[in-house]
Order: sequence, then C-alpha cells, then structure tokens
Amino acid sequence: MARITFDRSLYTPEAVAAAYAEYADIALERSGDAVIAVIDAVTGGDRQTIENSFCNLALQETIVRMRRAPAPEDE
Amino acid sequence: MAPGEQDGPSEAPESRLGFSLGRDHVSFDVDETVYPLEAIYGGSYLFVDRCFVFLSRPSPRVVNVRLTSRGPATPAELDALAGEFLNELLSQVTRLRLSQATARIREYYTAAALRAAASAPSVDDLLAELDSEELGDDPLEIQVPWEEKSGEKGTEPK
Repeated sequence: MARITFDRSLYTPEAVAAAYAEYADIALERSGDAVIAVIDAVTGGDRQTIENSFCNLALQETIVRMRRAPAPEDE
Repeated sequence: MAPGEQDGPSEAPESRLGFSLGRDHVSFDVDETVYPLEAIYGGSYLFVDRCFVFLSRPSPRVVNVRLTSRGPATPAELDALAGEFLNELLSQVTRLRLSQATARIREYYTAAALRAAASAPSVDDLLAELDSEELGDDPLEIQVPWEEKSGEKGTEPK
C-alpha cells in the first residue's frame, strides 16, 4: 500500500479524485493542507509506473481545472 | 511521501548543476516569489509527456519539483532534464509578465475591434451608397460603343 501526499495549495482535491480511478483502488484522506491518496491494489501495470502516472494525471487535471476556472476580477 | 520515495540511506549520484539526484529522478526547490505558481504549472504541463512530475511544498512559498524519468536515466540525463525544466520555467515567467504588462492594450484593441464591427454598415446602407454615387461621368468613354469611337461600321475588332 502506498500513501502519496498532495499539498492542497498545489493540487485540487477534485483533480486528485478524478485521476486514474480505473487503474487502482485509491482512497482519499483529507488532512489539513493535504490530500493523501492511499493506493491499494493496482491493475494493468507496474505499481511504480501506475503511482507516477497517477501523480502526473492529478497534476494535469489540476492545471486544466485551474485554467478553466474564471480569473479573479480586479478590484 | 512522494511516489517512489524510499526510507533509509540510498546511493546519491552527484549532480553537475547542484540538483538532488536519486535513482531515475531529480528534484529541486523553486522559490515562488521568483517563479509564480502559474509559471511552475506551465512548465510542468509541458513536461508531463516527457517524465513524471510531482510537486510538493517543503515550506511556505517554496515548491519542490521532482522529475522522474520514464525509463532508466544517467545523472547527466537527469541534470539535462532538470536544466531544461528550469529554462522552460524562465520562459514561462517571461511570457506571464509580458501577458500581464500588455493586458490593458490587448483589452483596448479587442474593444476597438468590437466597436468597429458593431458600427459596420449593413448591406442596405452599402446599396444606398452605390445608388447615390454619381455614375454619369465617363472620362475613359467606357460606355461609348467601339464602332462610334473608331468611326467604322461592319468591321469587328480582332
């Protein structure tokens, strides 16, 4: 079982949740400033590659969601 | 804990550029006061196809970037990967600053273009303008038949 800690100032929890659900059993725990992904069983590939790909996808999803979000208006 | 991180001492190869090297990964800290998060995201987005990117926050206003190669990589290759990432980061910062500096003028030009499009004449206006134009003048005598101009009849121009 692997635990990957995503800082909430860098990753949106929704993006982490959306990433890679079909390749691994992932449970999310929220603790303070972090979202911890607990990766249990993985299917269809090497565990290390799946974990790294999961992190890549979580980052990519975060960036895409942040770019889609409307920019804050100037005061 | 970052993915692939292992407890206990591990063999640490030397980085020529001062990065932290591990087995198939390289990591370094980025100061967010110098490189805004948006630039870090921009650089990361371009690198997710080439390697695995993981961001963490060791302290406030500092982002740790960890790049893991997709296959076995030598320290020199990891150094090069991190160096390219930092170069891209600089490029992203420059692009961001330029974009912020020219935001007003871009807004102005967009508004001017929209205003011009809104006040463009309709087809009816254009037809009315054509009707009102003076078409009586023919200084090049284009409306005069060729026969009249040349004074001959029955011969066709070749």
